[in-house]
Order: sequence, then C-alpha cells, then structure tokens
Amino acid sequence: MSDSVLEQHGPEWLRVMLRIRFFEGSLADLFERGQLVGVVHLSIGQEAVAAGICSALEPGDQITTTHRGHHHMLARGLEPEPMLAEILGKATGYCRGKGGSMHVACFERGVTGANGIVGGGIPMALGLALAAQELGSGGIAVAFFGDGASSQGTFHETLNLAALWRAPAVFVCENNRYGEFTPTERAIAGPGVAARAAGYGIPGVAVDGHDVQAVHAAALEAVERARAGGGPSLLECVTTRVRGHHEGEENYAGTYREAPLGPDPIDLLDAALGQPGLRARLEAEERELVARALAAAQAAPDPDPATALEDVFA
Amino acid sequence: MNGSPSGANRLAPAIADAIAQEMRSDPRVLVWGEDVTIGVMGPTRGLAAEFGESRVRDCPISEAGFVGAAVGAAIGGLRPVVDIMFSSFAYVAFDQLVNQAGRMRYMTGGQLSVPLVVIGSAGAAGANAAQHSEVPPALFLNGGGLRVAFPSTPHQAFWLTRAAIRSDDPVIVLHHPALAAARGPVGAEPLELGQAEVGPEGDDVTILAVGLMAHRARSAAGKLAAEGIAAEVVDVCSLSPMPWETILASVRKTGRVVVVDEARLTCSVASELAAGVAEWAFGDLRAPVRRLAVPDVPIPFAPGLEAAVIPDEDAIARVVRETVGA
Repeated sequence: MSDSVLEQHGPEWLRVMLRIRFFEGSLADLFERGQLVGVVHLSIGQEAVAAGICSALEPGDQITTTHRGHHHMLARGLEPEPMLAEILGKATGYCRGKGGSMHVACFERGVTGANGIVGGGIPMALGLALAAQELGSGGIAVAFFGDGASSQGTFHETLNLAALWRAPAVFVCENNRYGEFTPTERAIAGPGVAARAAGYGIPGVAVDGHDVQAVHAAALEAVERARAGGGPSLLECVTTRVRGHHEGEENYAGTYREAPLGPDPIDLLDAALGQPGLRARLEAEERELVARALAAAQAAPDPDPATALEDVFA
Repeated sequence: MNGSPSGANRLAPAIADAIAQEMRSDPRVLVWGEDVTIGVMGPTRGLAAEFGESRVRDCPISEAGFVGAAVGAAIGGLRPVVDIMFSSFAYVAFDQLVNQAGRMRYMTGGQLSVPLVVIGSAGAAGANAAQHSEVPPALFLNGGGLRVAFPSTPHQAFWLTRAAIRSDDPVIVLHHPALAAARGPVGAEPLELGQAEVGPEGDDVTILAVGLMAHRARSAAGKLAAEGIAAEVVDVCSLSPMPWETILASVRKTGRVVVVDEARLTCSVASELAAGVAEWAFGDLRAPVRRLAVPDVPIPFAPGLEAAVIPDEDAIARVVRETVGA
C-alpha cells in the first residue's frame, strides 16, 4: 500500500469506520435500554471490511449483504437517519418499516438488500452482475456474506455459475470466526474459505480484515478484474465479531467464545495515519451526526397500519 | 387464421412462441435453465436457434443458484425466463422463489421489482413417480408475493406466458406434461393474469378445475350434457390473482360446486376455492361444496396406482351427479 492511497482514502475510512462504530454502539445501547424492537446483529470490529471494500466501488455498482450488514450500508453511503428509522420500524425508514435491521435496502444507492437467510443474497449478486454485463452498464456486483454462508449450497452454486459465465462479481466473505454461535473450525472443512475458490478456477485470497489498507488493496484488484471482464474473485477478510451473534444473547448463549479478539481496526488505521487530532475531531463529528440521526428517527412517525397491505405486488 | 397472433396450435409450442415474440420485442428477455438450448421440456424448443446461446443459456443443475441469479438479474433490469423443467425441481430453489423473489418488493417497501418468470411442468404424465409428478401451486400461493398461472390450452398458454413476461411480479407458469401436445387455436383476444375461462356454460352445477383437470372436467361436462345435466366449467388458469369474480358469478348462477384438483387434498387449491365459495357465496349454494382431489399420498409409480389416485372423467361425472342429486 503506497502512502498516497492512505493519504487519499485514510481520513474518509476513519470517518466511516467511526460512524459505523457509533451507529452500532447506539443500537447496542438502545437494546440494553429495551428501546429496540426485533433482533440486531452488530458489526463492531468489522468496520475495516466495509470501508475497504466499498471505497473500491463506483456509484453504479450494487452490493448484497447479510443480517449483519449495517456497516456495509453505511460504507456504501446510506444515510444514518433513514437506516435508523428502518431499524426502529418507522414510516420514514428506507423500506417504510417493512424490512427492519435485516432487510435495509436502497437500490438507488447501490444496496440491493440485506438478507435474513444465510447465503440467500449470494446468487442475487451474481444476477445483478449478469444484468450489468448484459445491459452494458459497466457496473459490477459485490456479495457480502459470512463464513457460515460459505457452507451453503448457494455459495458453491453461485461461484460455479459466476466462473462459467465470467460474471463481473466479487464475493467477499467476512470471516468473523463464528457462524452464529459455532466457531468456524467446527464448521468449515479443508484449508479455509479462500481455498474454496480453487475448486472453481477463480482467484481466492485471504487478507487481514482488521487492516483497511490490506482489504482495500485486495478489493481494488478484484474489482478491477471484474470490471475489465476478467471474471469473479473470492476475497476472504478475516475479522473479529466483537459483539455476540445478536444483542441479548447473553440471556441464553453463555460463554462460547474461545478465540481472542483481533486488533481494533480503528486503532490500526489511526496509528497508520499518524495525524494527531484527526481522530478526535472525526469522533466528535460522527458522534454528533449519529446522535442527531437517532433523535430524528426516534421522533419519526410509525407506519400507517394500512400500509401493511401495500407493496406485495406491482 | 382469424387474425391469430401465433402460428402455434399446441400447448408447449404456444409457450415457446410467446417467449420468442417477447424476446424479439424486448432485448431484456432471456432464457435460462437446464437444457433449454435443446428444449427438452418443450417450452424453450427452437429459441436457441433464433436468439443464440447467450440469450438462451443452459445452466448447470443447480436450481437454487440459477433461480437466485435470475432473481438478481430481474432486480437488475433484465426479464429472465427460467425453465426449471419439472416444477418439483423448484423445491430445490424454494428459498430463492419464496423468501427472495416473493418478498423483495415487500421487504424493501416497494423499491424493487422482480420481473421473473419460472416455467415448469406440473402433473402426472404416466409413470414418473412422486418426484416428477407434482402439482405445487398451493405451495406458491401460500408463500405469497408470487403470481401463478396454469394454462390448459394453447390459447391460455400463449397469452398467459406473454402476460407473465410483461408482468413486474415474479410469475410461475405451469404446464401439464400430458397436455404438451394438446391442440387448439390461439385466439386474438388476449388473456391476462387474473382471468379465468368459462366453457362450456351451464346452469346446473359449476366445476372449478385447472390444467389437466380442466380438460377432464370439460370432457365430463360433455358426457353429462347427454344425460341432461348442464355443467359449467370454470378453468381457473390464473391462480394469482385468483379470478374470484368469475368463479363466484358462476356459483351464484348454478348454486352447486364441484372443485377438481390434481394436488393432494389437504390445503390444496381445491380447499382454498371451496372455502372462498363457502364464505362468499354461501347464501347461493343449494348443495354442499364437493372437493375431488388426490388423496394425501405421493403420486405412485405404477400406471394403475397413478390412475387410481388422480381424478378422471368418470370420477368427476360421478361427483357432479351426486351434487345435483341425479
């Protein structure tokens, strides 16, 4: 990674990673106080993956994400206020309160959707990539998914199809070392997720997902390959899930964690940047931004019950 | 002939012609599936020769993968037509159809459309056993968010396939393998999703049926007419939206209803139709609604066993006679 890339992207990476951290932290806080409906799966610790990948994309590209996808959406440029409104089930949410935390989407901004089904969005990303290819839009698609999804049939079927058809797609496995409550070493046979690419004859690389510079460099290579017609790639970002599978799991899940936490990606980036005062300034701005967004989302109206019957069919 | 929009006069070729016409007028329409370039099942035969193997694309045998890709492609601006061969293979892709295609518009608050068509055969064609003989529309209807059509004539097949491709909703188009070669003209009058076809007309009893059962109901009606029983057949070729208006108008006229279904009885389309008639036309009924369907068993292999569980013309006629008290 040249210093110029760090200079170009570093401050924005730091900003978005802090935004994610405060956004997710505010949700943890709301849950703790019993002010959150439904279930949330937080991405604290995984910020560098979202920032590193999404900063390699263009506005016309699309991503699909997962039940743990707030960080991808924020890094893709979704606004905190309608995101929080959606997560709180408000009328002003991106999906009018129909989707919630696991289904926030904003197609116009390149987030086709999050998915409550593990592995469910992987073939969808392939289809989005093929549509871009057929329509000649120049866009690509990125499927974000976890280590757990790499054992779903849809993962393997999609990699096979994507390789056959040289789809302009990048498959990003965010390996946070747990599939729900089960450590990956008890769930994944063979040498690991990245190695599975070899079976389909496509590039597969594993990078340190705590290091935004490493993630971004690998993402750029895969994205450029896809855009140039070189076909799909698999990128495994090894990261750390700091929170549990979902908030509130301590009520029943007990202590299942053995792996030590990885380094904090924000600390790593801050140290690499070495700009005294930058972090403090961005922290103040992003903390304020998230607080304002949350206040606005909380004050937003609930959906009109009549809208429950809308949006099933065209 | 009589301004027919299609030269096809058999059911499977009518589907193929409908796809071809849409492909000619709309470059976003493409065909994916297993062995679609050969057109093993009929509905895609001949398309690869005209449109090439990029727009008519053979897929590996991975239904969840290519149906899921088609969902994404539809969201991304294409209009994919997926031939899944036997509709029971759709069970392999059930998450992609029901949880993804059927829910994306709703979950995103109306942001996304999934203009996807999935075509599959439905029903028993003789000794195909339990995993290739299913009639699954009730599963899709209960899944929600999916349109379902099940044409029984070339006319219905042509128009409903065109309507399906033009629809902004995901549509399952079913075709019965025993009717692939069924002959009939394609009329000039379009048929839309949500419409049923009535015929023959009659005043004594309404028979509600779909697919092969609609054919058998029409044959039974002919036989019953000779006995002086005027049965009206409503071919519910579009199941979502359900053409309730046409169904209830017929029921109000006749006051008697027999529902015939090639699916298992429990929670079948027959059960839904019977329940709707009982709820919305109870005051017009002069006899209990009767359901004639497959007993709650898988479709068996041996031809004699298969025939024993699927309603035939004689069974339909018998239940109609019982209903009219003849």
